This record gives sequence, C-alpha cells and structure tokens, in this order.
Amino acid sequence: MTHLTYLAVSARQSETHKVLCFAATAEDVLRFSSIDRIGRDDEGRLSGFQRPQIASHIREIKDYLEKPDAVLPNPIVVAFTRGVAITPTEGGLCRVSIDISDGPPGLVVDGQQRLTALGQAEARDFQVFVSVLVCQSEAELRRQFVLINNTRPLPKSLIYELLPTVDGLPHRFEGRSFAADLTARLNHDKNSSLKGQINQHTNPEGKISDAAIQRVILASLSDGIMRDLVRKPNGERECFELISEFYEAVQKTFPSEWWGHTARSSRLIHGAGISALGYVMEELALYEGAKSWSQFAKGLGCLRDRTAWTGGEWNFGGGDVRHWKALQNVNRDIVTLAQYLISIVRADIRARRSAAAETPLLDALSD
Amino acid sequence: MKFIFADSLDVVDPNYDFIADRNGPGRKVHWDDVYPHEILGYAPYDGILVSRATVGDRGIKGKYTDAQAMRFQRLGARVFLRLDRPGLDHLAIFGDCGAFSYANEEKPPFTPEDTIEFYGHAGFTHGCSVDHIIFDHDPTVRGMDGGSDEARRRFDLTLENADAFLRASRTLSGRFTPMGVIQGWSPGSMAEAARRLVAMGYDYLAVGGMVPLQAEQIRHCLQEIRAAIPTNVRLHVLGFAKANDISSFVPYDITSFDTSSPLIRAFKDKKQNYYLPDGPGKLRYYTAVRVPQSLENLQLQRLVKKGVFRAEDLTRLERNALALLRAYDRHEADLGDTLAAVLAYNAPLAVGRPYEDCRSDKAMQVLSQQYSETLSDRPWKRCNCAICKDVSIEVIIFRASNRNKRRGIHNLSVYKALIDQLDSFPADLRNDSPDLFGRQCAAE
Repeated sequence: MTHLTYLAVSARQSETHKVLCFAATAEDVLRFSSIDRIGRDDEGRLSGFQRPQIASHIREIKDYLEKPDAVLPNPIVVAFTRGVAITPTEGGLCRVSIDISDGPPGLVVDGQQRLTALGQAEARDFQVFVSVLVCQSEAELRRQFVLINNTRPLPKSLIYELLPTVDGLPHRFEGRSFAADLTARLNHDKNSSLKGQINQHTNPEGKISDAAIQRVILASLSDGIMRDLVRKPNGERECFELISEFYEAVQKTFPSEWWGHTARSSRLIHGAGISALGYVMEELALYEGAKSWSQFAKGLGCLRDRTAWTGGEWNFGGGDVRHWKALQNVNRDIVTLAQYLISIVRADIRARRSAAAETPLLDALSD
Repeated sequence: MKFIFADSLDVVDPNYDFIADRNGPGRKVHWDDVYPHEILGYAPYDGILVSRATVGDRGIKGKYTDAQAMRFQRLGARVFLRLDRPGLDHLAIFGDCGAFSYANEEKPPFTPEDTIEFYGHAGFTHGCSVDHIIFDHDPTVRGMDGGSDEARRRFDLTLENADAFLRASRTLSGRFTPMGVIQGWSPGSMAEAARRLVAMGYDYLAVGGMVPLQAEQIRHCLQEIRAAIPTNVRLHVLGFAKANDISSFVPYDITSFDTSSPLIRAFKDKKQNYYLPDGPGKLRYYTAVRVPQSLENLQLQRLVKKGVFRAEDLTRLERNALALLRAYDRHEADLGDTLAAVLAYNAPLAVGRPYEDCRSDKAMQVLSQQYSETLSDRPWKRCNCAICKDVSIEVIIFRASNRNKRRGIHNLSVYKALIDQLDSFPADLRNDSPDLFGRQCAAE
C-alpha cells in the first residue's frame, strides 16, 4: 500500500494553510509521519526541531494509556509540506490521501511523547485525533512548531491546588497530592491555627508559602511521624491536628515575630523558618510524644532567646555567624537552621529529664 | 580481618520489574528498598561504615535527602540501616567524616565536638576523628623529612583534632570506640602520627589517605606504622581501594578495613564487573554486558541530539539485544546471534558509529572477546546467591541501578567469602581481636 486515506473534518482558518482533523491508530500515525529531532548536518545546517524523548514522561503516559478508561482527547499535530492530497466532499468534510511510497512525509509538531508512549502501549487499536496542518515550506512548518509549543506552563501553586481533586494521577503525585490537600485544609478549616495564613493561588493574602508547608508535610510523610499517622484509620485528621497544634505552639512561643510580619520581615514565617521548624516538630513528637500545642510549646520554650527571626545574628557555631536576613529558602540553609534548633531542643530535653548529661536520647527512647 | 562495607544508600528495589524496567508498584523510596544484608539473607560484611559527608550536613551535600538525613540522626544509624534485628544487631557501625569530600577546603567543615555529637546521637559503635587529607605522598623521604608546608599544616590539624576528639568522646565511653586517624606525607610521617595518637590514648587507629596510593606504597606505610606502635593497638585502613589485593595485606596485622570497591566495580570498572571465587585467596572476573537504556543514557542521547542516530533505531537495537540475551539464558538463542545483537547496540555506545562501520575496530574486537567469554561461561548460573538465583542473566546486564547494584551486592557476597577464607590462614598471620566487636555490644 502506498497511500493511506482518511475521512477528515476541515476548519476554515487561514488563507495560506489547510487545517483538518481525523482519527488514526498510533501505528498508522508513525507510518505517515516521523518525529524529526533537531540536529545539524555535516555542514552545520540545522534540521528537525523536536527535543529528545523523555523516558520518565513517556512511561507515565504509557501507564495511563494502558488503563481501560484512558482517553486522549487532544490531538497529535502533524504538519506536511508534501505528500498529501485533499479532496473536498460535502458539509466541511474532505478526503485525505497521504502518499507513503517514499517514507513518511509528515512531521510530528506536537505530541511526540504521547505518540512514543502509544507506540509502546499494549492497546494497539487505540485511536488518536490527528490534526493535520499543510504548510507551504519547511520554514513555515518550523514557525508553526515554535508557535504551538511556546506555551506557558501552569503556575505550580495552581496545579498543587487542583491536585487533590484529580484522581488516577501518576504515582509520583500521591505524596504531593496529599500534601496539597492537607495544606488547603490547614488554610480553610476553622479549627486550624494557620487558617487564612497560607498563600495559595486562591488566597493571595496569605503570608506563608504553601510550598513551605508542603515541604514540612512531604518530609514527614516520607521520613517522619506522618508516615505512621497517615495509615491509621483517622490518619488524615491526626496529621492535620499535628501540624495545626505545632504551629499554634510556634505562634504562641514567638508571637511578636509571627504576627504582623511577612516572609521579608521575619524569618519565622519565611520558607526557611517554617521548613526548619518542621524538623523540630518531628523531634518533639518522637522524643516527647508531643501532640497538643501546649506539649509542643514546652519543647519550644528553650529556643526563645536563641533565635534571630527578625533581627540580630544567628550563631551556628564553627565561626558560621549570619545576619538574620542572610538565611535563604534553600535546602542548605534550612538544614543548617534545623540542626541548630534541634541541638538546642535536644539539650533541653536531656536537661529536663534531669538524667545524667551523657544519657543519649536514643537510649532513653528505647527504655 | 574484618570487612566493613562503606555504604552510600546502596539499596535495590526487591520488586523491580526487569521486563518492564520499572520499580514495583507503589514503591516508596528506601522504605521498600533493601540493603545487601536484607536481599541476601545474611550480611556480606562485618559492619557498615557511613560517612558524615554521605549523609550530608551543613556545608556538604550528601547522598541522603534532607528528610532522610534527619531521620538517620533522629532514629539512629542502626534503625536506619536496618541492622536492629536479631542476627544483625552485633554488626559494627563505623563512622568517618568523608575527608575526600572536603579535601580542597582550607579546613574540615566539622569540629571534633559536633562530630562526636553526630556519632553519639546516631549510635555509631566506632568513629574516626576529624582528619584532613594530605596529598603529594613521597615514599622516598625518611622519618619526618620532606612534606610541604601545607602537608605539615594538615598533619598538625589532624592530630589536634584527634586530641580534641578523644577528649570529647569520653561522654560516650562504654558504648563507642574512638579511632584516631593517621594522615601523613610519607611512611615515616605516618608512623610518627601513629605514635602520637597512641600517646594520646588511642588503641584503635585508622589509616587515611590511602586511596590514591599504589598497593606497594600502602604496604610500605603499613609496615612503618606497625613498627611504631605496640602490637595490641588495632589498625583500620580507611577507604581501601585495593580491596582485590587484600590477601597480600594479611601480614600487616590489619584488624579491619572499609571499602565499597566490590560493589562499585560492578558498574565503574571497565571490565572487572562480576566476581566469582577462583581458588584460595583469589577471584575471577567477568565483564558485564552493557545494554543501557536508550532513552536515558546520556551518551546515546547526545548522539541523538547531534542527529547521528535516530532514537527509534537505538530503541530497536536495545530491545533486540535484551530479547536475545534472555533467549540465550533460556538456551533458545545461540551465542553468535546473541553476541551480534549485543555488539550492534554497543557500537554507538563504544565508538559512536553503526556496527557495520566499526566491526573491525580494536575497541569492538575487545568488547566482542570480553562478552563472548562472559556469555559462553554463563557465570551467573554458577553462583548460588539469592540474587543470581532470582534474576539469572539480568545480574550480568550492565543497565541502570537495579541490575548494577544487584551485581555489586553479589560481588560483596563473593568478596566476604574471600575475606573469611583469609581468616583461616595460619594463625600467626591472623589478627583476630575477639573483643573488637564484643566491646561495643556491651552497652546495647
């Protein structure tokens, strides 16, 4: 067979282009079009335009497509400069005939990852929509590629807010989805100590970054107390209460550094402070079984005169002294701050237990 | 001699799907993964060494995520490494600072005091003082001769730190063995460092900075160090990169050494990737068969970016190589076809050209020879470890972490058997300190 023929719908759009749409299997799409990856020939001339495939992305799409209820409503866009004949029939329909005797004449402009995933998926008879664009030249085709792919990704915070309402997402979103959901509840539940204080896409007045709260939740889910809590029958509620009670204690311990501030004016409600304190929460929950704000507050009290949230300097030891504002919302600073806070809290727990100074916490815990 | 494995989160997913090349469904990083002592059903080492630099700390980006590093310290090394169960709870947990990671800094990012806090809180059984690597080893100078100003500065710094470290370690007495680290620019200066450490009160020394040295240079250093200290002082060799020559080190009275070499060489060595025992004190090596993931291998992706190969063609070669290897394992394909499929896919990787164009290149000839030896001997069928039994030919395929680390873990188990064999050498060559691992258990 040298020709593939489809019945298509055409749309009136531009005088100089023809645009139409039909359905075909992935196998057929790969017979009449190829993915032209960007490269240079021996003389250095540029050819092609697609980036290399991204294996993890393809795998996720493939997983999704192998589900029986998978759909793929957005089309693969294929552009032609040759090899295609269009015969109008009636009512905006037309017949498209693609000549594949010299190999595939079409070029995939959009949807290469989806197409590759489809090629690897089990469902062989799965059809996709193909949008065909007939261009007059290679240069025009490349221009269309740039225009079509020059879209802005959605803001992360909007995606995070939407995540909990979406089912069947790839596995890597599960933790993130839970964290996003819990963050939203902390921001909207009337019993939350953080009510209205978290900046979300739908709450631009919030002062605390949603990403910082989510970081605390994600770290706890992967390597902290929430990993255990979340599996209990009432797990979500307990996670909510833990975070809410803890930051209630933080607010009561440092009222003047919390209220009336922004992330700029206080490192306490800045990403670095919020995230570092998350590790202190783990410490108190594990070693003191703290759950309520008053229990947390007891463990936090020792930090009161040792912080520089809104002024002064942090003395992290070993000559590492920093102006309060020099703390950045980067992993390294978060860890440095967390370890500084934790070592004070640990020493305080030890002292309060009035055990011998050398009694290690770990041993005390296992007693 | 005790073999301490230097771990850097060397875990594998026990539910990895080799056909689909993906992790088991819902796999949770680290929690669902297993350490060598879990997948094999026994520990292929006498203890584990964890570097502070591997865990990561302020100033140093480790291999652990921040949340993992915090959990490591919160719950302790034994729980984190899952050595807290019967049969494994006697294993030693050594700590060091990972001096290579800060070798270029003026001074170590850690203090003796915060290092003791780190070891103590995480429940290490043994820990090294805070050292600073000395480069420019000069085997020709004698005694304390030679040594640049920088070498001497680091020599003094390492000893000062060791002194402070020993004092700080008294808070952990009874459940922790401090180890004084030897750094020097020559055998003589190392011997002097050892002498001073013993004078401070150390009875367990660790020799650092051995990684860049030749086996012969290491032997020379050990000889001088041994001659300078009492026989009851124990000696550990840090980062023993010459692990495969271990039998020639038996006469130097080493109590313990740490290395990750048998694991690392499974995927970092050019040809010695898979170990099998080969008579007393000896190993036999095989080259693993490279079938990288075409869409993830950086070198292949570079060729695709430059337009030398099409991604679709590489993927086809990759699939074909895997299919034939598995058929060969089941005796459904012959050696010639299998080798041809593997070489066709290896050509872009090895020389960046299609196999038809480079068939007679030296590099391809060498590969052909190595692979042919591996395939015709079927060494994976001659091993009884849990990994080889479970995954068969996948263990010898050089492809992504789950296969490569499994092969490394298999190597660890072969290596441990070799070390245990050394212990049955004549008693006068042996150094067994029954109290070495008995001591730190007392407090537990």
